[in-house]
Amino acid sequence: MEVRGPLIKFGVLEKLLNLARANSLWPMTFGLACCAIEMMATTAARFDPARFGAEVFRPSPRQCDFMIVSGTITKKIAPVVRTLYEQMAAPKWVIAYGNCAISGGPFVFEGQYNVIEGVDKVIPVDVYVPGCPPRPEALLEAIMKLEEKLTGYRRFPTPERRW
Amino acid sequence: METILRDFGFVLAFVVLALLFGLIAVFIPRLIAPRTVGAKTESVYECGMDPFGSAWIRYAALFYLYALIFIAFDVDVLYLFPVATSYVRGGKPEEFLALAVFVLLLVLAIAYAWGKGVFRWKYEDL
Amino acid sequence: MVAEELLRGLEGLGLEIREALYERQGFWFDIHCPRDRIVEVAEAFDEKGYWIEDVLCVDWRERLELLYHFNHWEDPRRLSVRVQVDPADPEVPSICKVFPGAGWHEREIHEFFGVRFKGHPNLAYLFLHDEIDFYPLRKDRVPIPEEDKRLLTSMDFSPEEEDAFWINMGPQHPSTHGVLRLILKMRGEYIERAEPVLGYMHRMQEKMAEVRTYAQYYPNTARLDYVGPLAFSQCFVGAMERLCGLEVPERAQVIRTITLELNRIASHLLWLGTFLLDLGATTPYFFAFDDREQILDLMEGLTGARLTFSFFRIGGLYEDLNDGFLEGVARFIERMKKRFQIYDDLVTGNIIFVKRTKDVGVIPREVARRYGATGPTLRGSGVAYDVRRSEPYAAYSDFPPEVVVRQEGDSYARYLVRLEEIKRSLMVLEQAIERVPEGPFRLQKTPKKPVPGEVYFATESPRGQVGIYIVSDGTDKPYRLKWRSPSFSNLAAFTEVVKGQLIADAVATLGSLDLVIPEMDR
Repeated sequence: MEVRGPLIKFGVLEKLLNLARANSLWPMTFGLACCAIEMMATTAARFDPARFGAEVFRPSPRQCDFMIVSGTITKKIAPVVRTLYEQMAAPKWVIAYGNCAISGGPFVFEGQYNVIEGVDKVIPVDVYVPGCPPRPEALLEAIMKLEEKLTGYRRFPTPERRW
Repeated sequence: METILRDFGFVLAFVVLALLFGLIAVFIPRLIAPRTVGAKTESVYECGMDPFGSAWIRYAALFYLYALIFIAFDVDVLYLFPVATSYVRGGKPEEFLALAVFVLLLVLAIAYAWGKGVFRWKYEDL
Repeated sequence: MVAEELLRGLEGLGLEIREALYERQGFWFDIHCPRDRIVEVAEAFDEKGYWIEDVLCVDWRERLELLYHFNHWEDPRRLSVRVQVDPADPEVPSICKVFPGAGWHEREIHEFFGVRFKGHPNLAYLFLHDEIDFYPLRKDRVPIPEEDKRLLTSMDFSPEEEDAFWINMGPQHPSTHGVLRLILKMRGEYIERAEPVLGYMHRMQEKMAEVRTYAQYYPNTARLDYVGPLAFSQCFVGAMERLCGLEVPERAQVIRTITLELNRIASHLLWLGTFLLDLGATTPYFFAFDDREQILDLMEGLTGARLTFSFFRIGGLYEDLNDGFLEGVARFIERMKKRFQIYDDLVTGNIIFVKRTKDVGVIPREVARRYGATGPTLRGSGVAYDVRRSEPYAAYSDFPPEVVVRQEGDSYARYLVRLEEIKRSLMVLEQAIERVPEGPFRLQKTPKKPVPGEVYFATESPRGQVGIYIVSDGTDKPYRLKWRSPSFSNLAAFTEVVKGQLIADAVATLGSLDLVIPEMDR
């Protein structure tokens, strides 16, 4: 994949742009399996990612900033993941949510013929969230880790200071 | 004469600023945005798969009627704008009646289409 | 009774019929049929009004055995027809002219076992794809011969008429509830044909069962249907208990019933939120998920997990109740009863919702019978069939739930059925939390290796009838394990119903079927 950086780039502009990008990361709905339900529970009213800017969950990759790959990657869906990743516009990031997206999860056994062990064999991943399925607070923590990757500092020390 | 020129001058300034607004919004990201191009970036989005064939096919004539009715609605709205600006000092019933007759004539096209059943799409008509 | 008449007719045809013990095997009668007469037998079943439950195959190395399970709505006794096939010449006549629901089952058996069905219109890939060049569920690695490979890749999508085009309602779509790909043949806005392509979430659950012990396999059951996992768990542990003849303690049965009904309410609430989200209403989603979070908090206190509970064990439960669970359930019931007003105000009388779902996606009774549809999809079409009443398991014989039926068969009817089912589940919960008996929550000794044999067990998940068929050969790993998934049969009925509908109506119908894709793809 051909990558080209911006034509004009200097410190203050980069900092400003990264701050703007970090505060309005728009995810793409790519819910595959069980982790998709936890992703949907995160978007509901209890663990709301809209307060961190990740409000609009768009199905179309042309309008998103990052992709939450939640679920098992099988050989049949791997070209689809690759296509959708390429159709996203730069700058883009990927969160691998759940054990299956990190390394195949509980579906790896001797003689397995359909599961790809980890989505990072198909597209580059920025944040890994372990769990089967991870709690919604883990997804919020992943979004904040992504923000930390962009801006260099964390927004809050922990997602929920009190349960 | 001078006031007319002044009014048109305002319109010209408005048009130039609007154009500049759009052009700057398109031009600035070319300078500051990174760009990645993969094998499938330029292709059409169809839920992650390759589309079957091209989109330039023969489609049902009912869609043409749909576009025509849209034009009728659009013309209605277009003509309502200058009529509404000239209907500033209301109060006299003759003005209201003139306006109502005008709108009724515009609506006749849509009423005819409605009566002919354009808004109901049946499977056998395709 | 219907079964006796049918069996007399079949005996007259000269077939061998054996009686099976339901308490140990899950069937009532076994019918052995030579492979050339299977279509006659299927027609005899069709005449008497049976519906097709499942078609499956077992690889016994020197022969392949095909099993056809039939059941009846009024006389719910399962009958199983067995056909032996020689692996050197695996050809069987297809019954999909009689029972179209068997069409997809036969496709699946073809690509997993290599059995060819004569007369089947389309034996192309359903779950698998080109990169797999052997028959996965056979015990030895049998490569796919050339002409079979050509048959498997024979589906083509060239435009047949000039103004028709094929469109992908693809794997990544907000309204397909998972990775389902529907290839639709459109003429304008109308759908002429829908061709689902499954297998995007095929995680080899049935192959994995052959290399894992029963205890190691158990967490997989929660990952099949992640919205209502306890029904699948109950199916698995119930099948093992039936096979080994174990008597589960009363306390465990009642607690299982309580958690199963809580799971059913949680699943229906999730369905409500996402169905309305598909139709464009974003507000009920938040209310439904709020209610669902209350249930998940209770279940998390009890089992430790929010979504994929691994709570049942063969012989009972994993742990006893924690303090405050029963009071929490009582509080939840009180709260939920008041919330129905919100759903009625917001959704049930809403003119937009009614216009989008009334008379949309009507599934007639005969279509549902021939395709094997179950669950609220069937009960919305006027058939009062519920596995909790016809084959009671857990403590359902003590707290029988009322069966909710509506006659219209459209999406609005299915919505009303599910909403009423939540109310009925609350009633069952109210009774059950009063009468939790004391005693052990788990059997002290459970056998590591079950007796050799075969068993079938069916439960009612929020989507329909779940079945499991286990063949055990006396070792601690299953020989063959097959899941009967309700969404598979419901989606097959959908492809029949969607012809001639607008694409927006197809979205409403698909949402009202409540599909969960990994239980279809296994």
